[in-house]
Amino acid sequence: MDQNQPKNYLVESILVTVFCCLPFGIAGIVFASQVNSKFSLGDYEGALQASKDAKKWMNWGLISGVIVIVLYFLFVALTIGSLAFLGGDF
Amino acid sequence: MKLKNLGLLVLGIGLTFLYFFVNPSNVDFFPKCPLYATTGIYCPGCGSQRATHQLLQLNFIGVLQQNILFFFGLFILGYHIAVQSLNLVLKKNIYNYLYHPKTPIIILVIIIVYWILRNIPYFPFNILAPN
Repeated sequence: MDQNQPKNYLVESILVTVFCCLPFGIAGIVFASQVNSKFSLGDYEGALQASKDAKKWMNWGLISGVIVIVLYFLFVALTIGSLAFLGGDF
Repeated sequence: MKLKNLGLLVLGIGLTFLYFFVNPSNVDFFPKCPLYATTGIYCPGCGSQRATHQLLQLNFIGVLQQNILFFFGLFILGYHIAVQSLNLVLKKNIYNYLYHPKTPIIILVIIIVYWILRNIPYFPFNILAPN
């Protein structure tokens, strides 16, 4: 039992929840909770697996958030640009 | 890996400038929360873009008016960084409460209760909703 507790990604999951992508963040918090509870029961393997799952959800939340924001602003820039190019009124 | 970090840095600086100069309340080209756009229900993260603008303008009351959880998130981040760096730099062994078995459950409950309360359209709950 001298193994270190696996990283639980709780902070990252909270930030993902509050700043962009709620469902991924909630899943991350649930797995973070499993990391802590399984480790405190001495289930190191289970805690490690939960840590990997938490990381996966947190990453998906982060990646999807960044992609959506970048695509969104690209879309807006293209729309405004093409309207300006065509001399449209916007 | 270095290219990815550089890209993220550029993106971060760009977004900081964008949210500093443009108030998302005044223009309508910022992404809307998909949940709010489709159902009209506020999620626990609604108001974060407006809160980011207020924070960058150092208007802390404005941040609270948009999203109280915003400060909660920043507080948790600050606590985590403080404990980790104290342990690393000063070789201390401070217990990080984020690794307590009950902490994630308490945080989950706070987020869900906040979610429900900010959708009640009556005083005093409606001050939790973004405006």
